[in-house]
Amino acid sequence: MHMRESSIMKVHYYTGLAAIVLVAIHVLFRLTVPEGYYASLEYENVLANYKNISYVVVLELILITVAIHGFNGLRVILLELRQGNIWESAVRWLCIAGALAVLAYGTRTIILASMM
Amino acid sequence: MKENREGIRGWLNPSRYGINRFAYWLQRLTGLGLLVYFIAHISETSNVVYGKEAWDKMLEFTQTTTGHIVLIVVIGMCVFHAANGVRLYIAEHGRGIGNPGRPEYPYTPTSLNKGMKALVWISMALAAIAMAYGAYILFSE
Repeated sequence: MHMRESSIMKVHYYTGLAAIVLVAIHVLFRLTVPEGYYASLEYENVLANYKNISYVVVLELILITVAIHGFNGLRVILLELRQGNIWESAVRWLCIAGALAVLAYGTRTIILASMM
Repeated sequence: MKENREGIRGWLNPSRYGINRFAYWLQRLTGLGLLVYFIAHISETSNVVYGKEAWDKMLEFTQTTTGHIVLIVVIGMCVFHAANGVRLYIAEHGRGIGNPGRPEYPYTPTSLNKGMKALVWISMALAAIAMAYGAYILFSE
Protein backbone atom coordinates (compact mmCIF):
# COMPACT_ATOMS: atom_id res chain seq x y z
CA MET A 1 0.00 0.00 0.00
CA HIS A 2 1.41 3.40 -0.97
CA MET A 3 0.59 6.83 0.37
CA ARG A 4 -0.19 9.39 -2.28
CA GLU A 5 2.73 11.74 -2.93
CA SER A 6 0.51 14.76 -2.08
CA SER A 7 -0.25 13.21 1.33
CA ILE A 8 3.45 12.50 1.93
CA MET A 9 4.27 16.14 1.15
CA LYS A 10 1.60 17.30 3.61
CA VAL A 11 3.30 15.17 6.27
CA HIS A 12 6.64 16.68 5.15
CA TYR A 13 5.40 20.25 5.61
CA TYR A 14 3.64 19.62 8.93
CA THR A 15 6.60 17.74 10.45
CA GLY A 16 8.81 20.63 9.27
CA LEU A 17 6.61 23.26 10.95
CA ALA A 18 6.39 21.18 14.15
CA ALA A 19 10.18 20.71 14.15
CA ILE A 20 10.73 24.51 14.02
CA VAL A 21 8.75 24.95 17.27
CA LEU A 22 10.23 21.89 19.00
CA VAL A 23 13.85 22.64 18.06
CA ALA A 24 13.36 26.25 19.26
CA ILE A 25 12.29 24.84 22.68
CA HIS A 26 15.30 22.47 22.64
CA VAL A 27 17.71 25.36 21.95
CA LEU A 28 16.06 27.57 24.60
CA PHE A 29 16.78 24.83 27.17
CA ARG A 30 20.50 25.38 26.47
CA LEU A 31 20.33 29.19 26.43
CA THR A 32 18.13 29.83 29.49
CA VAL A 33 20.37 28.13 32.08
CA PRO A 34 21.35 31.00 34.45
CA GLU A 35 24.99 29.83 34.67
CA GLY A 36 25.35 30.04 30.89
CA TYR A 37 25.54 27.84 27.80
CA TYR A 38 28.60 25.82 28.85
CA ALA A 39 27.13 25.06 32.30
CA SER A 40 24.01 23.72 30.54
CA LEU A 41 26.22 21.08 28.87
CA GLU A 42 27.64 19.74 32.14
CA TYR A 43 26.85 16.09 32.75
CA GLU A 44 24.64 16.68 35.80
CA ASN A 45 22.58 19.36 33.99
CA VAL A 46 22.13 17.21 30.89
CA LEU A 47 21.10 14.19 32.98
CA ALA A 48 18.62 16.40 34.90
CA ASN A 49 17.06 17.37 31.53
CA TYR A 50 16.34 13.69 30.81
CA LYS A 51 14.49 13.40 34.15
CA ASN A 52 12.14 16.27 33.23
CA ILE A 53 9.16 14.46 31.70
CA SER A 54 8.00 17.50 29.64
CA TYR A 55 11.46 17.87 28.13
CA VAL A 56 11.67 14.13 27.43
CA VAL A 57 8.38 14.40 25.49
CA VAL A 58 9.84 17.34 23.51
CA LEU A 59 13.01 15.32 22.74
CA GLU A 60 11.01 12.31 21.56
CA LEU A 61 8.78 14.54 19.39
CA ILE A 62 11.90 16.17 17.87
CA LEU A 63 13.25 12.72 17.14
CA ILE A 64 10.02 11.65 15.40
CA THR A 65 9.37 14.86 13.42
CA VAL A 66 12.99 15.43 12.30
CA ALA A 67 13.54 11.75 11.41
CA ILE A 68 10.39 11.71 9.24
CA HIS A 69 11.08 15.14 7.71
CA GLY A 70 14.80 14.50 7.19
CA PHE A 71 14.58 11.07 5.62
CA ASN A 72 11.59 12.04 3.47
CA GLY A 73 13.60 15.06 2.31
CA LEU A 74 16.45 12.71 1.38
CA ARG A 75 13.95 10.50 -0.48
CA VAL A 76 12.63 13.52 -2.43
CA ILE A 77 16.17 14.60 -3.39
CA LEU A 78 17.14 11.09 -4.52
CA LEU A 79 13.94 10.74 -6.58
CA GLU A 80 14.60 14.11 -8.23
CA LEU A 81 18.01 12.87 -9.33
CA ARG A 82 16.87 9.56 -10.79
CA GLN A 83 13.64 7.70 -11.51
CA GLY A 84 12.65 4.08 -12.12
CA ASN A 85 10.67 1.39 -10.28
CA ILE A 86 13.66 -0.39 -8.69
CA TRP A 87 15.40 2.87 -7.74
CA GLU A 88 12.22 4.40 -6.25
CA SER A 89 11.43 1.25 -4.27
CA ALA A 90 15.03 0.96 -3.00
CA VAL A 91 15.15 4.64 -2.00
CA ARG A 92 11.78 4.38 -0.22
CA TRP A 93 12.80 1.35 1.87
CA LEU A 94 16.29 2.71 2.54
CA CYS A 95 14.81 5.96 3.89
CA ILE A 96 12.20 4.11 5.99
CA ALA A 97 14.96 1.89 7.42
CA GLY A 98 17.18 4.94 8.11
CA ALA A 99 14.39 6.80 9.89
CA LEU A 100 13.48 3.74 11.99
CA ALA A 101 17.13 3.10 12.95
CA VAL A 102 17.63 6.73 14.07
CA LEU A 103 14.30 6.67 15.94
CA ALA A 104 15.19 3.43 17.72
CA TYR A 105 18.70 4.57 18.70
CA GLY A 106 17.54 8.01 19.88
CA THR A 107 14.63 6.55 21.86
CA ARG A 108 17.04 4.08 23.50
CA THR A 109 19.20 7.02 24.69
CA ILE A 110 16.16 8.90 26.03
CA ILE A 111 14.84 5.86 27.92
CA LEU A 112 18.22 4.82 29.39
CA ALA A 113 19.17 8.39 30.39
CA SER A 114 15.81 9.04 32.05
CA MET A 115 16.25 5.86 34.16
CA MET A 116 19.78 6.72 35.38
CA MET B 1 15.13 10.07 -22.01
CA LYS B 2 18.58 9.42 -20.55
CA GLU B 3 20.08 12.55 -22.12
CA ASN B 4 17.55 14.63 -20.18
CA ARG B 5 18.79 13.29 -16.84
CA GLU B 6 21.28 15.86 -15.68
CA GLY B 7 21.42 14.75 -12.04
CA ILE B 8 23.60 16.80 -9.71
CA ARG B 9 25.15 18.66 -12.69
CA GLY B 10 21.67 19.99 -13.43
CA TRP B 11 21.39 21.29 -9.87
CA LEU B 12 24.75 22.98 -9.91
CA ASN B 13 24.65 24.56 -13.38
CA PRO B 14 25.30 28.23 -12.51
CA SER B 15 24.18 29.50 -15.93
CA ARG B 16 20.58 28.98 -14.83
CA TYR B 17 20.85 30.75 -11.49
CA GLY B 18 18.20 33.17 -10.41
CA ILE B 19 17.47 33.81 -6.76
CA ASN B 20 14.77 31.11 -6.69
CA ARG B 21 17.09 28.52 -8.20
CA PHE B 22 19.72 29.50 -5.66
CA ALA B 23 17.13 29.05 -2.90
CA TYR B 24 16.13 25.63 -4.37
CA TRP B 25 19.77 24.49 -4.35
CA LEU B 26 20.45 25.91 -0.88
CA GLN B 27 17.30 24.29 0.57
CA ARG B 28 18.51 20.86 -0.55
CA LEU B 29 22.12 21.41 0.49
CA THR B 30 21.12 22.67 3.97
CA GLY B 31 18.61 19.81 4.29
CA LEU B 32 21.31 17.22 3.62
CA GLY B 33 23.72 18.99 5.97
CA LEU B 34 21.10 19.07 8.73
CA LEU B 35 20.30 15.36 8.27
CA VAL B 36 24.00 14.52 8.68
CA TYR B 37 24.18 16.76 11.77
CA PHE B 38 20.96 15.22 13.19
CA ILE B 39 22.44 11.70 12.96
CA ALA B 40 25.79 12.88 14.40
CA HIS B 41 23.99 14.74 17.23
CA ILE B 42 22.01 11.63 18.20
CA SER B 43 25.25 9.66 18.20
CA GLU B 44 27.19 12.23 20.30
CA THR B 45 24.41 12.73 22.87
CA SER B 46 24.07 8.95 23.34
CA ASN B 47 27.34 9.22 25.35
CA VAL B 48 25.25 10.45 28.28
CA VAL B 49 24.21 6.87 29.05
CA TYR B 50 27.87 5.75 29.42
CA GLY B 51 28.58 8.06 32.38
CA LYS B 52 30.31 11.37 33.15
CA GLU B 53 33.70 10.31 31.80
CA ALA B 54 32.32 9.39 28.37
CA TRP B 55 30.25 12.60 28.28
CA ASP B 56 33.24 14.82 29.17
CA LYS B 57 35.37 13.04 26.57
CA MET B 58 32.72 13.79 23.93
CA LEU B 59 32.63 17.47 25.03
CA GLU B 60 36.44 17.66 24.72
CA PHE B 61 36.02 16.56 21.11
CA THR B 62 33.09 18.86 20.20
CA GLN B 63 33.75 21.98 22.34
CA THR B 64 36.72 23.14 20.28
CA THR B 65 37.16 26.03 17.85
CA THR B 66 36.49 23.67 14.94
CA GLY B 67 33.45 22.25 16.76
CA HIS B 68 32.13 25.77 17.35
CA ILE B 69 32.59 26.73 13.68
CA VAL B 70 30.72 23.57 12.63
CA LEU B 71 27.92 24.44 15.07
CA ILE B 72 27.71 28.03 13.74
CA VAL B 73 27.36 26.66 10.18
CA VAL B 74 24.66 24.25 11.46
CA ILE B 75 22.80 27.19 13.07
CA GLY B 76 22.88 29.06 9.75
CA MET B 77 21.71 25.98 7.81
CA CYS B 78 18.92 25.36 10.32
CA VAL B 79 17.57 28.93 10.28
CA PHE B 80 17.77 29.28 6.49
CA HIS B 81 16.14 25.86 5.94
CA ALA B 82 13.34 26.69 8.41
CA ALA B 83 12.63 30.21 7.11
CA ASN B 84 12.83 29.21 3.44
CA GLY B 85 10.72 26.14 4.27
CA VAL B 86 7.99 28.42 5.65
CA ARG B 87 8.20 30.40 2.36
CA LEU B 88 7.73 27.16 0.41
CA TYR B 89 4.80 26.19 2.67
CA ILE B 90 3.16 29.55 1.93
CA ALA B 91 3.79 29.12 -1.83
CA GLU B 92 2.49 25.51 -1.74
CA HIS B 93 -0.80 26.89 -0.44
CA GLY B 94 -1.01 29.31 -3.35
CA ARG B 95 -0.20 32.46 -1.36
CA GLY B 96 2.16 35.13 -2.64
CA ILE B 97 2.85 33.55 -6.02
CA GLY B 98 0.59 35.78 -8.11
CA ASN B 99 -2.31 34.91 -10.40
CA PRO B 100 -1.85 32.69 -13.45
CA GLY B 101 -1.67 34.71 -16.67
CA ARG B 102 -0.72 34.54 -20.32
CA PRO B 103 3.08 34.46 -20.70
CA GLU B 104 4.26 37.77 -22.11
CA TYR B 105 7.70 39.12 -22.87
CA PRO B 106 10.10 39.04 -20.96
CA TYR B 107 8.35 35.86 -19.69
CA THR B 108 9.02 36.44 -16.01
CA PRO B 109 7.15 33.75 -14.08
CA THR B 110 4.59 35.20 -11.66
CA SER B 111 5.93 32.87 -8.95
CA LEU B 112 9.21 34.83 -9.01
CA ASN B 113 7.58 38.01 -7.78
CA LYS B 114 9.11 40.56 -5.44
CA GLY B 115 7.50 39.09 -2.32
CA MET B 116 8.92 35.61 -2.85
CA LYS B 117 12.36 37.00 -3.76
CA ALA B 118 12.28 39.20 -0.64
CA LEU B 119 11.45 36.17 1.53
CA VAL B 120 14.53 34.34 0.20
CA TRP B 121 16.71 37.32 1.15
CA ILE B 122 14.97 37.57 4.55
CA SER B 123 15.70 33.85 5.12
CA MET B 124 19.37 34.47 4.38
CA ALA B 125 19.45 37.55 6.61
CA LEU B 126 17.84 35.63 9.50
CA ALA B 127 20.43 32.85 9.06
CA ALA B 128 23.26 35.42 9.18
CA ILE B 129 21.83 37.03 12.36
CA ALA B 130 21.43 33.64 14.03
CA MET B 131 25.01 32.68 13.07
CA ALA B 132 26.31 35.94 14.55
CA TYR B 133 24.35 35.33 17.78
CA GLY B 134 25.57 31.73 17.91
CA ALA B 135 29.18 32.87 17.45
CA TYR B 136 28.70 35.42 20.25
CA ILE B 137 27.38 32.74 22.65
CA LEU B 138 29.99 30.13 21.72
CA PHE B 139 33.05 32.37 21.72
CA SER B 140 32.18 34.88 24.45
CA GLU B 141 32.09 32.54 27.49
